[in-house]
Amino acid sequence: MSDILDKYKWMGPIIQKMDRDTKRVFMKNFRMRDKNFFPEGDYKADVKNLVNCMLCPNMCRFDCGTLQAAKSETISPAYKARIGYYLTIGKIDPLDPSNKEFIDLMYKCSNEESCKVWCPFEFSVVSLLETVRDDLNDKGVMPDYCKEQIKKLKETNTIEDHNIYETYKEKGIENIETDGNDDVYYYIGCESMKFPEVIKANIKILKKAGVKFSTNLEKKGCCGGPAFNIRDLKIAKELANKNKELIENTGARIVVSDCPGCIETLRNRYQKVGIEIDVKFIHIVQYIKDLIDNGKIKLEREIPDEYKKVTIHDPCLLARNLNDTESIRAILNKMPGIENIDPIYNKQFTHCCGWSGTVHWADKNIAIKEATNRINELKETGAVVFISACPECELGLAYGISEKDKEKIKIIDISELLMKVI
Amino acid sequence: MNLENFELIYKENRVKIKDKAKIRAKLGEIVGDENVSDKEIDIFAYNKDTTLITLNWTLEGKIAAQPDFIVWPETPEQISSILKLANEEKIPVIPFSEGSGVVGGAIPIYGGIILDMKKFNKILEINDKDLTVTVETGTNGMNLERYLNAKGYTGGHIPQSLYTSSVGGWIAHRAAGQFSSKYGKIEDIIMGMELVLPQGDIIKFKTIARASTGPQLDKLFIGNEGTLGIITKATLKIWPYPEKRGLISYAFPTFEDSLEATRQILRQQIYPAVIRIYDADETNRHFGHIEKAKDKVMVVFVCEGIERLVDLEETITRETCKKNNGIDCGEEPVEHWFETRFKVTETSSTPTFKIVADTIEIGFLWDKAADMYHSVIETTKKIQGVMMITAHVSHFYPNGVGFYFTFAGIPPKEKTDFEFYQEIWNCIIKTVEDAGGSFGHHHGVGINRSKWMEREWGKSFDTLKSIKKLLDPNNILNPGKIYESVWKEGGEN
Ligand SMILES: Cc1cc2nc3c(=O)[nH]c(=O)nc-3n(C[C@H](O)[C@H](O)[C@H](O)COP(=O)(O)OP(=O)(O)OC[C@H]3O[C@@H](n4cnc5c(N)ncnc54)[C@H](O)[C@@H]3O)c2cc1C
Ligand code: SF4
Ligand code: SF4
Repeated sequence: MSDILDKYKWMGPIIQKMDRDTKRVFMKNFRMRDKNFFPEGDYKADVKNLVNCMLCPNMCRFDCGTLQAAKSETISPAYKARIGYYLTIGKIDPLDPSNKEFIDLMYKCSNEESCKVWCPFEFSVVSLLETVRDDLNDKGVMPDYCKEQIKKLKETNTIEDHNIYETYKEKGIENIETDGNDDVYYYIGCESMKFPEVIKANIKILKKAGVKFSTNLEKKGCCGGPAFNIRDLKIAKELANKNKELIENTGARIVVSDCPGCIETLRNRYQKVGIEIDVKFIHIVQYIKDLIDNGKIKLEREIPDEYKKVTIHDPCLLARNLNDTESIRAILNKMPGIENIDPIYNKQFTHCCGWSGTVHWADKNIAIKEATNRINELKETGAVVFISACPECELGLAYGISEKDKEKIKIIDISELLMKVI
Repeated sequence: MNLENFELIYKENRVKIKDKAKIRAKLGEIVGDENVSDKEIDIFAYNKDTTLITLNWTLEGKIAAQPDFIVWPETPEQISSILKLANEEKIPVIPFSEGSGVVGGAIPIYGGIILDMKKFNKILEINDKDLTVTVETGTNGMNLERYLNAKGYTGGHIPQSLYTSSVGGWIAHRAAGQFSSKYGKIEDIIMGMELVLPQGDIIKFKTIARASTGPQLDKLFIGNEGTLGIITKATLKIWPYPEKRGLISYAFPTFEDSLEATRQILRQQIYPAVIRIYDADETNRHFGHIEKAKDKVMVVFVCEGIERLVDLEETITRETCKKNNGIDCGEEPVEHWFETRFKVTETSSTPTFKIVADTIEIGFLWDKAADMYHSVIETTKKIQGVMMITAHVSHFYPNGVGFYFTFAGIPPKEKTDFEFYQEIWNCIIKTVEDAGGSFGHHHGVGINRSKWMEREWGKSFDTLKSIKKLLDPNNILNPGKIYESVWKEGGEN
C-alpha cells in the first residue's frame, strides 16, 4: 500500500490545484470507477486486469508467439483482453451463436506466457483469459474442441482417444510397479507415451544410477493439465485426487517427470484447487543433472559425429514457469566434444513450439505456424540436432518441419542424447 | 455480433461498396483466400490505432471507425494489384503495421481495405562493411533490434514504442528514437527503399551513402503516412553495438538552466545518445524518489560508443552541467529511466477515471524555446477541465529541440470527451504555431493535426496537395489524413 501511495504522491498537488468543478467531477469519477467500468455481476472474470490489458498499447506484441504466427491484430494480446472484457460485461453476447469466433479467441493462446516477460503489469494473458473461460463454462458455451478433450479425459483417463498408457507393452516400455517404498516416482506424461525411446532412456538412466523408483503405468492417468487449461475444474480435481493417491502410494519423496507441463500442474496448479501433495516435484533433467554431479552417472563414451553440433530448444514451461534453463546446458557441457549453439531466443526468452495451451485445438494453423517460426529460429543456428526436454515440444516442433528438412533435422530429448554417451 | 452495441465515431462519408462479395473474391484472387477477411472479429480488431482518445472509447464501448476488409499481402506485386483494384472500385486503402500510431494515421475513417503489413517481416541482409541492414517494413522494431544485438550491432532507432511499432510505421510517420542525438532520426537512418505507389507502380530508391543525382525524391515518402506510397522494403544504417555506456544525471534549479546546459553541450559538438530534460512537475512524477531533484529540473544523459569517446563526452557533459548550476545526481536516475522506459501503464488507468489525456510533441528552435514552453503551459492551464499540463524535452539538435507535452483533464459538463480533447490539441498547436514552432516533432499528422497543415506549410501545402493529386488521383490511399481535416473547430482562441 505504501508503495502505491508513494507512486501517486505526485498527484497530490495536481488534485489540490484543480478548480472546484473539475475536482468534483474527478472525485465522482473516482468513486464511480467500479460501477462505471467494473460493474458487479455474476462473473469470475478478472475484469480490472482485462481492462488494464486491453488499454495497453500491446507492449508485448513482438514476443507473443500466437500473434507472431497469425500476423493479425485479432490475435494480439490486448485485443484478446478486450474481447474478454466485452464478453464478460455482455457488450458481446456469449450466448449468441453468431459470436462463436469471439469465444474461440479466448482459447487462442498458447501457455508460453512470453507476454509476462515484458508486461509492465506482469500479466500472463492466458491466465486472464482463463478467468473468462470460467464464465463461458458456467454459461454452457464451452467450445466443442474443449468438450472433446474433456470427454477423452473422462473416458480414457488420458488426453488420447484410447488409454495411451495401455500401449506400454507393445512399445517395449518396462513398467515398474511400486512396492510403496520408492525413493523416486518417475511420472510419465500422456504425451511422453508417444516418445517411447525417451521413456526407455530415462528408465535406463535411473536404473544405471541405482535409483529406487517406479512408473506405475497400469494405474497411470493424465495429470489434468488439459482440464486446467480448459478450466473444467471438476474433472481437473478428480484427476488431481487420483494422482495424489497414486503418488502417495509410492512412498517416494521425489516425483520426476519428462514433461514440464506435468510438473507445472502437479507442483503449482493442484495447490490452486486446494490439493496438496507433500513431495518434491522436479523435471527429470534437473534430477539427472544432479545424478551426474554426484557421480552416479558417468559420461564415458565419445558422442557420435552426427550429434556433435546441437542447439537447444528450451521448453517454455521449463524455462519460464519452472525456471530451469541450466540443467540441460549443464548436462550438455559434460559431454566431451559437443558444440551447442543457442538460438537467438533462448533460455527465459525461448519461443513456444505452438503446442502448449489450447491454441492447437482452437486454431491448428496458428499452432503450426508457431512451430514453423520456432523451427526457423533453430535452423538459423546451423545445427540440425535440436535438443529439448518436453514431449509436447517434440510433438509441436515436428509440425513445423518442411518435407524437405524432415530427413535432415533430428529433434531429440536430452535423455536420448545422454544415452549415447553413458 | 451486434455492432449497434458500439457507437461509431467516424461515421460520415463512409465508402459504399456495392458488391462486397465480388470485392472479397477479387482480393482473394490476389492474396489468396486465407489472406483476406471480412469477418466481424477481424474487422473489429482494426477499428482503432493507439491514439489515446480511442482508448477512452474502447472502454466506453465506442469504436473509432470500421474497415470493410482486411488483407495481409506478402509481396509488393500483390500490393500493386490491390491498389489497382481499389482505384478501379474507388475503395480507400489504409496501410496498417503495428497500430501504435498516436494521431489516427491508421484509422480507417471512411471504411475500406486495411492493408496489414505484418507479413512483410523478413530481415533480409546485414552488410557488415557497409553497416546496413535490409528489412521488409512490417518487421517489428524490437524484433529487429534484438536480431541486430545478437549479431553485435544496434539499429540506434529506439522509440518508446520499440516493442509495438514497425520499420514501415517509423518511415511513414518520420519517427524519432530516444537515442537519436547520436544515431539520428529515421530520415537520417534510412538509406534505400522500395515502395508501391497509389496506382500500383513499384519503385525503388537505390541504397547509397550519398548521391548528387537530382532532387531527393525519396524524402517525399519519408513521413508520407501511407498517403503517397506503401513502403515494402528498406535499407537502414546500423552501428557496432556500443562498447561502453556512460550514465549521467543532473538536477537544475530552473528549466532555463537545463536548456542552456544542453544547448552548450551540443554547441561543443558533443552528442550524448540520450538527453532528456524533465520539467519540475515531471521530475517530481518520475524522480520523486530522488531527494536532490525535488522540485528541480532533472536531466538524464546516456553517452555511448567506444570507450575513449564516451569518456570525453562524459567529461564535457559534466563540466557544462556544473557550469550551469547542475547538481550531480549520479547514475541511479538514468538506471531508473532504463528500467521504466518501456513500462507504459498510464494508458490503462486514465480512461477508467474518464480522464482525457494525450501527449503532443512539437519542434522548436533554441531561441525563445523556453518562452514557447511557458506559453503552452499557461494557455493550456486556462482551459476549463485541464488538470495537468507538463513537459519534457526529448530530442536535441545544435539548432533546436523537440518538446513533449503531456496533458490530462476531465471534460466539463457541456463537452464530450472528444470535443474537450480536440480543444486542448488545437490550443497547444495554435500556441506553438503562433510562437513560430512546428506542430509535430515525431508523431506525424494523421487526423489530429491535418487541420493545421495549411498554417504550418503555407503555400507549399498547395504543392504537396498537387503531388498527392498527381500520384493518387482517386484519393484512395489513406484518405482523411494530412490533406483534409475532419476535426471540428474549437480551442483556437
Ligand atoms: C507508448 C508509445 C510510445 C511511442 N513512442 C514514440 C517515440 O518514442 N518516437 C516516435 O517517433 N513515435 C512514438 N510513438 C508513436 C508510434 O509508435 C510511431 O508513430 C510509429 O512509427 C508507428 O509505427 P506503427 O508500425 O505502429 O504504425 P501504424 O500505427 O500501424 O501506422 C502509422 C501510419 O503509418 C502508415 N503506415 C504503416 N505502415 C506503412 C508502410 N509500410 N508504408 C506506408 N505507410 C505505412 C499507416 O497508414 C499510418 O498512417 C509511440 C507510440 C506509443 C503508443
Ligand atoms: S499482457 Fe501486458 S504488455 Fe501485453 S498487452 Fe497486456 S498489459 Fe500490455
Ligand atoms: S500466453 Fe502466449 S499466446 Fe497468450 S498472449 Fe501471452 S505470449 Fe501470446
